[in-house]
Amino acid sequence: MKSPSLAISAVVCAAVLLGPPLVQGQPLPRDPVERARIIAQVLEANARQLTLFDRRGQAVGTVGLRDLYTQPVFSPDTKRMAVIRPDLDKETNDLWVIEVATARATQVTSSKPREGANSPAWSPDGTTVAYVALRDGYFGLYRKSLAAGGQEELLFKNSAPLTLTDWSQDGRFLVYFSTDLTGGALFALPIAAAGERTPIEIFRSKFQAQGPRMSPDARFVSFVSNSSGRNEVYVVPFDPAAAPAAAASLVPTQISDQGGIGMAFWRRDGKELFYLAADRGIMAVEVGAGTPQFGKPRVLFRPAAEIVPGVAPNSTSVSRDGERFVIAVPRPQMRQLTVYDRQGAALSKVGQPGFYVQPNLSPDGARAVVMRNDPQTGNQDIWVIDLASGKGTAITSDVHPENAPIWSPDGRQVAYVSTREGIAGIYRKQADGTGEAELLFQYTPGAGMVLTDWSPDGKFMTFFTGVLVLVPVGDAKRPQDRKEIDWLREDYDVGQGRFSPDNRFLAYLSNEDNVERGEVWVRPFDAAKPDAPPTGKAVRVSKDGSVGMIAWREDGKELYFMTRNWEVMAVDITTSPTFTAGTPRMLFSLPGPLPGNPMQWKNVSRDGQRFIFAMPAAAASPSR
Amino acid sequence: MRLSTSAFVVAAVTLLAGSAWAHHNMSALFDFNDRVTVSGTLTRLDWRNPHIYVFVDGKSGANQTEIKGWSIEGPPPSFFRAREINRTDIEAAIGKTVTAEVSRARDGSSSGLLRVMTLPDGKVVSACPQNC
Repeated sequence: MKSPSLAISAVVCAAVLLGPPLVQGQPLPRDPVERARIIAQVLEANARQLTLFDRRGQAVGTVGLRDLYTQPVFSPDTKRMAVIRPDLDKETNDLWVIEVATARATQVTSSKPREGANSPAWSPDGTTVAYVALRDGYFGLYRKSLAAGGQEELLFKNSAPLTLTDWSQDGRFLVYFSTDLTGGALFALPIAAAGERTPIEIFRSKFQAQGPRMSPDARFVSFVSNSSGRNEVYVVPFDPAAAPAAAASLVPTQISDQGGIGMAFWRRDGKELFYLAADRGIMAVEVGAGTPQFGKPRVLFRPAAEIVPGVAPNSTSVSRDGERFVIAVPRPQMRQLTVYDRQGAALSKVGQPGFYVQPNLSPDGARAVVMRNDPQTGNQDIWVIDLASGKGTAITSDVHPENAPIWSPDGRQVAYVSTREGIAGIYRKQADGTGEAELLFQYTPGAGMVLTDWSPDGKFMTFFTGVLVLVPVGDAKRPQDRKEIDWLREDYDVGQGRFSPDNRFLAYLSNEDNVERGEVWVRPFDAAKPDAPPTGKAVRVSKDGSVGMIAWREDGKELYFMTRNWEVMAVDITTSPTFTAGTPRMLFSLPGPLPGNPMQWKNVSRDGQRFIFAMPAAAASPSR
Repeated sequence: MRLSTSAFVVAAVTLLAGSAWAHHNMSALFDFNDRVTVSGTLTRLDWRNPHIYVFVDGKSGANQTEIKGWSIEGPPPSFFRAREINRTDIEAAIGKTVTAEVSRARDGSSSGLLRVMTLPDGKVVSACPQNC
């Protein structure tokens, strides 16, 4: 049997972490059986149920079956819904229209492999749908009549990605945004113009700006920006006759007051504006005539707690009359930290279920450091959880996305990756939450890193980018002066470096032998020559694929990893005079796919007797 | 330092980081609206993670006599392998004329992010959707 490649593992894992949208461009295995298995896993982890709610939050119906739906948008009469549905096998996204009453679905676009359509918007009369599509290397704004024989019509071609979010109610403009790490801009495309259409820049910012929607009278545009340090909903005036430079001088009016992450829709009569709050509350704001005047936001309803982190702006929308809301409801997101023994018996459940992922055990086995999503703020922070009491201590509590926590060798500190203004850095902080976070290293702007280990002598950290990278942190250099070392940079993928307890070897995951199969390998590591090419023979440890969870026993006599079938494996090893590995044996298996990314897990106690996982709160028992 | 676009890193990191805002972390260094076509001799290939690099002596000027060396960054090798394009396919073009469409670096240097490359035999190597 074949195992998935690292990339494929990550498709599933990333999908399990946060759900759609799936990452486009991820390769799937070519072997049809393996391909089908991976697709089934992604579906199981990510399928959503289109669910209708009234203004009080009462579920009043569902539409169709669970599927990989995203970006649902009601037609003007609320009788149909445009959605984006990925076809994993074809590696496309396409636009579908579904009748709300009957769930009869019609495919509107048919994209070539590795192309796709996204971000639908309805014409005011409901006869036509506009969307963004990637065609032959270019993005474009297209429209297509839903009448029989309707043809795809290109309205505007662009090299950079763009996202359509509205079709003005007077039918004159398509409203879209383009945003990246350098900032964002909102545009209106006059679609009635003859010849080449020139977009009107509505607003531009050095911060992110997205989700523009035009007021029914086409005088204002709502959008979401992080200019204050967190996402909020704003409104700016729109004047298509204004000079282009005017867009830069507009001062937006803030509408939301406790964070607003998207879904800012205007009611058809212009008297109410809706948005999705940071805590995933569905908010409404009264809009007075004139300037206009905006009231204080009020909560219409909050989605059920167990799905909160999975409720995203692109999975939620509202009808033009403001009476119906649709949420593409993910499977429950709550996880229970659970400790298992070597036989797979659940020894204890730690605290209450929460939005946890990636629990890593402390060196003394008494605590776990986890990533935790706060449903109140939507923030993703690092917490330390005491396993005996279940008591949690916040290590971070801010709007910056934090991930990949690891323990210092002595268990007194934790390190993690925090991304600030587009730059990922490694920070460390005391494990009791006291003191200030200390920046240790900053990476290239815009580049991510997955931090996976801290060497036993405290002198190195390792992360991966497809390359296995070392960061010397034992010196006295300033963070900005520290240079990373590409320890293993090849044409195959390498990830999840793990230092051996004696600091003489690095275990890692790579697809060196088979591009479609991740395996566990071990190479000698010389801490005195970290920038020298790795010497010595690489030894393959796993036999039939691995998705990660590599861990060494403290005596250096056993190594652990997880298979693609969510089996926890153990291998007898020796490290002197050279590294040798026996035949892997299964300790126990868990019902997968498990949430989180096994390429980050360091969840085995040093003595190899305890294993901690963030299990779906209603997960079945393990089996042997 | 290099950007990380290796597929599994993108999957693991960009989603973890919650950066649904950013379509592509390459946008920090490359301007997707500044699209340039480079035609000239492929001089070198670096086929390693986290990105491949192709080096092209691009011809420019009225008579195509001015030569400017371009460093063009592409997706990781696994991206191409999944599309049945191997190192040897591109190595075979070294010393021959290729045409590459790139998003130019924001610093204005003669470096760019590969979007599409046409090999001497007419084979089109697309780096989309990753680099589009």
